[in-house]
Amino acid sequence: MALVAGKYALRSVGRNVRRTALSVLGIAIGVALALFMESMNRGREGLFARAAAYSGSGHLRVVPRGWRLRRDPRLRLAGFEADLAAARDLPGVAVVAPRARAQVLLAMGTHVVPIEAVGVDPEAEQRAYRFVRNVVAGRWLRPDDEPGAAVVGQAVADRLEAELGDDLLATVVGEGGRIESGMLRIVGIVRTGSEEIDASICQVTLGELERLTGLRGAGEVTVLLSDHRSAPAARAALAARIAPGDEVLTFEDLAPEFKGHLEQDKATNRFVNGIILLIVVLGVASAQLAAVLERRREFAVLSALGMRARRMVRLVLLEALALGLAGGALGLALGLPVLWLFSTRGLDLSRLMGATWSFQGILIEPVIYGDLGPWIVPYVLAVALGATALASLYPAWFAARTDPAVALRVAQ
Amino acid sequence: MSDVILSARGVTKIFRQGRIEVPALRGVDLEVRTGEFLALVGPSGSGKTTFLNLAGALDVPTGGELLVFGKRIADLSRAARAELRLRELGFVFQAYNLVPVLTALENVEFVLELQGVGGERRERARAVLDELGLGELADRRPAELSGGQQQRVAVARAVAARPRLVLADEPTANLDGENAEILMHLMRDLRDRHGMTFVFSTHDPRVVAHAVRVVTLVDGRVARDQEKPGEAPHEILPGVGKAEAAGHLGP
Ligand SMILES: Nc1ncnc2c1ncn2[C@@H]1O[C@H](COP(=O)(O)OP(=O)(O)OP(=O)(O)O)[C@@H](O)[C@H]1O
Ligand SMILES: [Mg+2]
Repeated sequence: MALVAGKYALRSVGRNVRRTALSVLGIAIGVALALFMESMNRGREGLFARAAAYSGSGHLRVVPRGWRLRRDPRLRLAGFEADLAAARDLPGVAVVAPRARAQVLLAMGTHVVPIEAVGVDPEAEQRAYRFVRNVVAGRWLRPDDEPGAAVVGQAVADRLEAELGDDLLATVVGEGGRIESGMLRIVGIVRTGSEEIDASICQVTLGELERLTGLRGAGEVTVLLSDHRSAPAARAALAARIAPGDEVLTFEDLAPEFKGHLEQDKATNRFVNGIILLIVVLGVASAQLAAVLERRREFAVLSALGMRARRMVRLVLLEALALGLAGGALGLALGLPVLWLFSTRGLDLSRLMGATWSFQGILIEPVIYGDLGPWIVPYVLAVALGATALASLYPAWFAARTDPAVALRVAQ
Repeated sequence: MSDVILSARGVTKIFRQGRIEVPALRGVDLEVRTGEFLALVGPSGSGKTTFLNLAGALDVPTGGELLVFGKRIADLSRAARAELRLRELGFVFQAYNLVPVLTALENVEFVLELQGVGGERRERARAVLDELGLGELADRRPAELSGGQQQRVAVARAVAARPRLVLADEPTANLDGENAEILMHLMRDLRDRHGMTFVFSTHDPRVVAHAVRVVTLVDGRVARDQEKPGEAPHEILPGVGKAEAAGHLGP
């Protein structure tokens, strides 16, 4: 029933120009809002990925089996060299950063600060943990640094009342529970923008940490991927190659609360989105119902001519399709500039949250870049057509139910 | 060989308005044969529209037995009645009731589309309009046609799908005398050439004059049933064969 029914539906949409225009506008606004929300939701995914990339957490992390539950910094990898090699061989790898951690008590004069010291590969670390690049005094660690060289966060230095070049006494619990101590010298001070994080930074070379604790090797190998979306595949590939006794964790495993927080945000957005669309659907439904009611006699005539209920439903849905396409196109036209703005400039939350934003020890840039991609076309079509089809179901059913005998009796 | 296409025996129809029961038909007995040109007359409220609605399978009787093309209307589902209307019946309404957004041609074509006619749909629709002398009006919308023209297009729409029975409820009520004449000739012509059966209601004596058989309803019953002498259906039917070969319609 291609031809005439199509023209019929299309021209019917044009019958009441004002009502159609309002319906189309309503759909368009709903679509544009839904598009914006979805774009930002996808952008949040990117925020998550960037947080993983910049905060030092990495997309994947090889850790000793058992670390996940105990989180004991003294645990060391079963096969550090093998894990490192396996990680470096992984396709799509951007940075591989080995680390070793230790609980340290830093002391200077009468001031004492407990902290988790991290032994790092200075080269890799700067690329894996973007915020330690912000050295405000002195310098960053060198691959073969002088014995005792340490970089600390601004807050650590403040609490110790220490300055660049000062010597600190570091006391650690080493192998077999023995208390070891050594001297560290501040060669650099970093400021990340978050007090919380600044108070937790004490970085030395891997060799230095080995010397302090007497524990050989590293406690983790952190992997940054060029594309966070390849994490599941990379995880499987890496897990197959690392030393037995070690395991691979993802950022989700490492920061489940952070992920949960993001998911919650997204769910809230979807909920608001759903309500907006529901209002649009109800508005369009009432307009469509009015359109069908106005044409009650016409539907009665069609029924008398033998038009079956199914075809009548199709006719009304066809009209909805035309409305939906127009609304979708206008929605896209309205939404695209906004989407483009937010995908290039981003939604900057820093005014609300301070320059950088720390969430449970994970530092993120508080800028959400909306996602803009080819997904918007099918998305707009799905939302616009889905909403109008949904809105037209009841009017269509109503039209199909028209009793020809009664409706034809109605006076003109 | 005029076979019975409609048979009513003791047909009743009672409308319920809340508690009140309105008996519109109180037992109609009537037989209609192929090729008849039947006028249904009677005072206002006598049940003409009600009977046409039942005969057209738009509604179901309350009691009695009504057979249309051998089918008991009361037993048919909504869908089955729609199917019967689509395949066997044509309707002409008092208020023309063309689809306002479609042209004359499209209005006719749409019925063929509903019938599932494929490729030659448009040509067939045009042929029907041409046959009824409406070719010039093909691309006009109802609003651009006079009442008489609209009603002629409505007749074209009603007969395009080759129904065996065409029902018309006061088809000339909105027309002036001249247009009523034209319309009656048109319908009479279709019946004479294609053997289509027409049943129409009217109040207009000039329209009744065209009828071959006149059935008078009073108070929901058949009060009179007159056949005009010399014009019995079987006397006209022999001509049908010839017209069929020449015309576009034909059963
Ligand atoms: N849907 C309905 N509900 C209630 N009563 C109805 C309904 N339809 C018809 N009637 C009643 O049934 C009776 C017959 O009505 P009908 O319309 O068939 O008469 P009619 O002969 O067509 O009259 P007219 O010449 O005025 O068109 C009337 O009394 C009318 O009021
Ligand atoms: Mg009537």
